[in-house]
Amino acid sequence: MERRKSIGEMSTAELADLLAQVRAGDSDAWGDLYRQYAPAIFRFCRRALPTREDAEDATTEIFMKVRQKLGMYDSSRPFTAWLYKVASNHCWDLLRRRRIRQDLETGDLETLPLEHPDPSQLEQLQIDHDSKHVRAGLAKLPDRARMALVLRYYSEMSYDEIADTLGVRRAFVGVLLLRARHQLREVLAESGGGLHGAAAGGRP
Amino acid sequence: MSHFDEMTALLYLEGQLDADHAEGVRTHAAGCAECRGLLRALQTESVWLRESLEADDESVPARLVQAPEHGGAPWGWITALGLSAGGAYTAWSGFIEPWQARASQAGFTQGNLLTMLFFSGAFWKGWDAMRSLIEFLAMATLGLVVMWLLRRRLRRTTALAVVMGALALMVALPSSAGAAELKHGDPNYTLPAGEVIHTDLIVSAGSTRIDGDVEGDLITFSSNVTVNGHIKGDIIAFSQQLRVNGPVDGNVRAFVQSLQLNGKVVRNVMAWAGDVNLDQDAIVNGTLTAGSGHLEVNGKLVGDLLAYSGDVDINGQLGRNARIRSGHLTIGSRAEIAGQTTAELRQPPEVSSSAKMGSPLDWKITKRSSETNYSSARYYVHQILKWGASFVFGLALLFLMPGFFFDAVRACNKTAPAIGFGVLFLFAMPIAAFIVCITVVGLGVGISAMMLWLICIYAAQVLVGAWLGEKILGASAGVGAALGRLALGLAILRALGMLPYLGGWISFVVVIWGIGAVALASYKNMRPQVAAAVAAV
Repeated sequence: MERRKSIGEMSTAELADLLAQVRAGDSDAWGDLYRQYAPAIFRFCRRALPTREDAEDATTEIFMKVRQKLGMYDSSRPFTAWLYKVASNHCWDLLRRRRIRQDLETGDLETLPLEHPDPSQLEQLQIDHDSKHVRAGLAKLPDRARMALVLRYYSEMSYDEIADTLGVRRAFVGVLLLRARHQLREVLAESGGGLHGAAAGGRP
Repeated sequence: MSHFDEMTALLYLEGQLDADHAEGVRTHAAGCAECRGLLRALQTESVWLRESLEADDESVPARLVQAPEHGGAPWGWITALGLSAGGAYTAWSGFIEPWQARASQAGFTQGNLLTMLFFSGAFWKGWDAMRSLIEFLAMATLGLVVMWLLRRRLRRTTALAVVMGALALMVALPSSAGAAELKHGDPNYTLPAGEVIHTDLIVSAGSTRIDGDVEGDLITFSSNVTVNGHIKGDIIAFSQQLRVNGPVDGNVRAFVQSLQLNGKVVRNVMAWAGDVNLDQDAIVNGTLTAGSGHLEVNGKLVGDLLAYSGDVDINGQLGRNARIRSGHLTIGSRAEIAGQTTAELRQPPEVSSSAKMGSPLDWKITKRSSETNYSSARYYVHQILKWGASFVFGLALLFLMPGFFFDAVRACNKTAPAIGFGVLFLFAMPIAAFIVCITVVGLGVGISAMMLWLICIYAAQVLVGAWLGEKILGASAGVGAALGRLALGLAILRALGMLPYLGGWISFVVVIWGIGAVALASYKNMRPQVAAAVAAV
């Protein structure tokens, strides 16, 4: 079911050729590779990290890593998957380093009991909030919750990959995603006003 | 099967349940409207989340559209090296030199080339009064190095607070006098005769009169200052008028409209003033450095004279050399100059035949090159050529280092930090480069750093120009648009620079601003290098 964000129109053969040139130290080829993938990686970082500045910095840093680690890339696997893996690892490292200092602020949220949503109110929440609201709400989520949602619903990563990136057991990924959805509903309901029922609904 | 929970519903929708469990869910949902409703709501939520995340409503920054430049690395290293040299200088002047001085006092004298050349030489002495400023800048550069080293370990604000705190402490440490006494005039302040201030005295008042004694420094912000008492430290004055009648054991540093010295100054005098007058009774044991409209030396100056003045009138005693750059020079009949007098003038000097000169006056006429002739067409052609040159430079910069160019232009947005860094780099970089030249690191690096510094000064207008163009025309992506913005911005800056009086100041601010932006952008460009290094370990 894995479906990555499609990037550009480059064929597999063209990409393999380009990668070979980059490995050979061709800086023009590196420039082409960068121009091809940097916008997509920026978009990913923009969703995974809380601010635009963070995303810009991270994009540059990710490509530095990519250039350094290109020798480790296994060409039998899709390049995009590898690239997203490097990007998500980098973003998560970045967030984790900050989280050590912020744990007290966000740790409590993860232990909140989850109440079942009322489907009609959940649908209403979706009607009331467009993509901008969702993205703004996402930026307010704890890092791990935001990262889990982005890896799953933007990067289309498998549960195994998410577990590997975030350093959690595979069985915990579902819990993580469900909590993240609850937190997002909570944030959106608060920002929208009067929609608390969707997040803490009435189903027994 | 009873109703399933939300977790199960989500795992079912995401294909994460084993076949038996999934079948159980499917069967139950077929007969349970409530659970079907939950499944539908979660499914819709998944679609909504995907669509919201995929929605592309934000532009990719222009700097990311360009491939990252690797030419930034040596730049970063050279800057870091320059900064480290600033730190090395601090260590030199703070530890090695005092140690040498003590050794020398104890009889272990040795001719040290560096000390002789730069710390005892005539040129250096002329700027002795500036030394604490240079030390401060060196400390500041050291602080930056520390901040740069610590930035991965601490949050930026914390690092800043720690380093700035440490810096303040280090700068404060040498003045062991302790807390200064602060006085605010109401509106005037007088320290009566017989009273003694045992620490530094800082006064801000309409008019300040010091009849008593100050054992530390006297720092004053007043319109009129008269000092009759004994100042054992330095006098630092920002005022309209400063009259010093009493003895000063330290330096006098004056930023004033008019400075009148009647007493004895044991160390140096540095004055940026409209009028500077060393009265007949005045004695300055050190050097007099003056940037003034009018300078009159009637008293005794034991050290060198370094003057950049509109008019210079010497009618007193000069113990050493005089170096003068002035519109007009008069050497009166009572003048006695022991050393060599060198003058660059706009008119021939008037030298009294009774004046006693240690060696003949060495003078030449210099033309004022900066005089602007607004009615001449050549002036405008020249301006257009200058605009063209800066545009070509910008073009080269844009094509050779696009990443850096866009970073630096973006850094111009951070006006206050850019100007702050600009001031620091404008002064600290040449000092650091100079020290690199004469210390262990080597001449090549020092000269490269100096060249780079000059290039940065020139690049400053280009970056600020590009920034200005972007503010006016908007930030559309692509090189063509960037060139258009650059051309417009540079033209506006050039036009502003042509304004009489203000133009020079505008250009100066632009240089500081731009050089600060270069510093910020290089700092930013250095960061990935560190990240890569960390990852490689």
